[in-house]
Amino acid sequence: MGHNSYLEDIRIIDLADEKAEFCTKLLADLGAHVIKVEKPPGDASREMDPFFRAKNSSHHSLSFFCNNTNKHSITMNLGHTGDRSKFVDLIKKTDVLVESLPPGYLKDIGLAYDNLSQINPRLIYVSVTGFGQGDPRRNYKSCDLVAAAYGGQMYVNGSPLREPLKSFGDQSYYTASLFAAAGILLALRSRDQTGKGDHIDISLQESVTATLEHVMIRYFAEKVIYRRQESLHWNDEFVVLPCRDGFMNVTLLQHWETLIEWIDTEGMAEDLKDDVWRDERYRRTHRNHIVEVVGNWMSAHSVDDLFQKAQLMHFPWSPVRSLNQVLECPQHKARNFFIEKKHPDLGVTLKYPGVPFKTSSKG
Amino acid sequence: MAGILKDLRVLDFTRIAAGPFTTRMLADFGAEVIKIQSSKMEGGLESNTAPYFCAWNRNKRSITLDMGYSEARELFLQLSKISDVVVENFSPRVMPNWGLDYRKLQSVNKKLIMLSMSGMGHTGPLKDHVAFGPTVQALGGLTHLTAYSSEDPMGVGYAYADMISGLYGAIAVLAALGYRDRTGQGQFIDLSEYEAVCTTLGPSLTDAFINMREIGPVGNVDIHRHAGPHGCYKCLGSDRWCVIAVYSDDEWQAFCRVIGDPAIKEDCRFSSAQNRQKHRQALDSLIGNWTRRQTAEKVVKRLQQVGIAAGVVQNAEDLAADPQLVANDFFTTLDHPVLGRITTDTTPVKLRNNPRGRWKASPLLGEANYYVFGELLGMTETEIRSYIQKGIIA
Repeated sequence: MGHNSYLEDIRIIDLADEKAEFCTKLLADLGAHVIKVEKPPGDASREMDPFFRAKNSSHHSLSFFCNNTNKHSITMNLGHTGDRSKFVDLIKKTDVLVESLPPGYLKDIGLAYDNLSQINPRLIYVSVTGFGQGDPRRNYKSCDLVAAAYGGQMYVNGSPLREPLKSFGDQSYYTASLFAAAGILLALRSRDQTGKGDHIDISLQESVTATLEHVMIRYFAEKVIYRRQESLHWNDEFVVLPCRDGFMNVTLLQHWETLIEWIDTEGMAEDLKDDVWRDERYRRTHRNHIVEVVGNWMSAHSVDDLFQKAQLMHFPWSPVRSLNQVLECPQHKARNFFIEKKHPDLGVTLKYPGVPFKTSSKG
Repeated sequence: MAGILKDLRVLDFTRIAAGPFTTRMLADFGAEVIKIQSSKMEGGLESNTAPYFCAWNRNKRSITLDMGYSEARELFLQLSKISDVVVENFSPRVMPNWGLDYRKLQSVNKKLIMLSMSGMGHTGPLKDHVAFGPTVQALGGLTHLTAYSSEDPMGVGYAYADMISGLYGAIAVLAALGYRDRTGQGQFIDLSEYEAVCTTLGPSLTDAFINMREIGPVGNVDIHRHAGPHGCYKCLGSDRWCVIAVYSDDEWQAFCRVIGDPAIKEDCRFSSAQNRQKHRQALDSLIGNWTRRQTAEKVVKRLQQVGIAAGVVQNAEDLAADPQLVANDFFTTLDHPVLGRITTDTTPVKLRNNPRGRWKASPLLGEANYYVFGELLGMTETEIRSYIQKGIIA
């Protein structure tokens, strides 16, 4: 038995839309019994791109498919009193409720945490919203774009000569979903000790700000307002440069002598062999010239060739891969990372990422 | 320390960001996290007084061990015996080379949970590859896709993969703890940061697979729903920007009323979300003319008042003073013995019935040596001093 039975005795009611669907999907993948409650004729996230063969119908949404694996689905209209009382009955036998409706919506129909915790004091009630349950912006509308802007992610992505750039996909929904999942597991542990449930309040904006790595740390310590600088990493180590057949993410300041020796064996190191370049501070202040010389050398090589050789010398270099290349990656194949499932309606086998860890009870 | 995880002891053998973020989540909720350091490895981002270190290691204890000594490795084993969880983020060869793989640790503590966090995972042809956040962001497709065009990959301006991996680490440990309590079984968890990044691109990976198409970067366009406008617009001031996302026709009508330009409202190129997406450039340039004359805050306020998703592109300074983050207690201060009062973010995980406890700043190097080796392992003061002199506890 492994991680797919970690949560096998936990029942989750899922009222989440695209903002937190991944949270309940992950918990379902870890063995929880997740029941998705959809309002007829079905969740709006069933209408989301991308679709199977560009067919825009509720059976064809690949994003819905990916974010709802291992869940069960029932339909209920919580606007109707009959369905609402059935829902309350269900809550009595539920461990966790995850919702991402606008703040106050469930309160208006008598389904706030304060109502439901009276019926089931052990209930863990999770709300994932754009700005959390608190003012001043609780009623502001949000989406991944707004969360990325308000959370501080966009300002540090992209070119300084252009508009800030959102990370690809719905990253704020994934980070918020992961924080929510961690919160649920903590609340479950707390409940084991106290017998009491909890209300967890997750904000998309905070989830973005909390995952900016260096950005707030450097502001609080040094008042640095970090600004986007294309592919150059904040520590000025990593940068993306073109090769003959694609792009590589490379480090230009570390492993200096090994790197120059390598380039020199091909007679392309130019003046970088000079002693003055051995000084890291000099390299940092003259990095444009390094980019020029190393870039020139790289453009004569293939991505795979450089990747293999660089890694043999323990350089943390990697190709800038496309998704089709990710799908074909031998590492993913060896670890059976992708899961293949036949879709019940489409009749085709779909492939999607599994959980990013392997577990065993023996070493 | 009080908190949900107060009965939990975690041996933290991690460095930089991903691993320390996992153990920080556990420490924030009360776990006794003992970070193993050594004076040899201290320095740079891992210096105990570096702001970076302080941020990721608050609420933890610190001990020192020079693992080159067999006595140090023996002490590690003894510590594993009295711990619930061991977290490490070395490359996969390191722990086995010290004779400290999971099999060995389990021989002294059957119920131990060991989390290994590596770039590529502990198996597979790339297992020994060297990887940091930017490495796996590129390898996982995120760098290629976060760009204005395929000819110029930009990627994310920080080690986002470390954060995602750190979150998965905490989730894996917490889930495995529940399982251990129920079944009495310990677990070895082999977490791959590369895979962690890929999970955040699920729908697009499935799309690429089944529709057999190449997916390229889309800038700030919404990949899931027809939206128009959906982008980032220049506002009044230096490097000030706002974002605007309009989905439904009702929202579009409301947007036109706010912008008050009949030319936009009546332009048939903009009659539906699909059309607006098609004529994105023309629409964006008209909107830009409107936003550049106002502050981002004003544009956003006017649009949010009529129910349109809009936001200010905030920088670090904006975030530190953001009324929403401040009102909801997202930042706090801690008193550090050397650096004095430092400001830090807290956590988005807010549990109403488990309010935040008393937090403490990150530890100084080896500050808990006497507590851990003396009180927990029962070494005498003389023994500890002799180990310090020999450079084992160092």
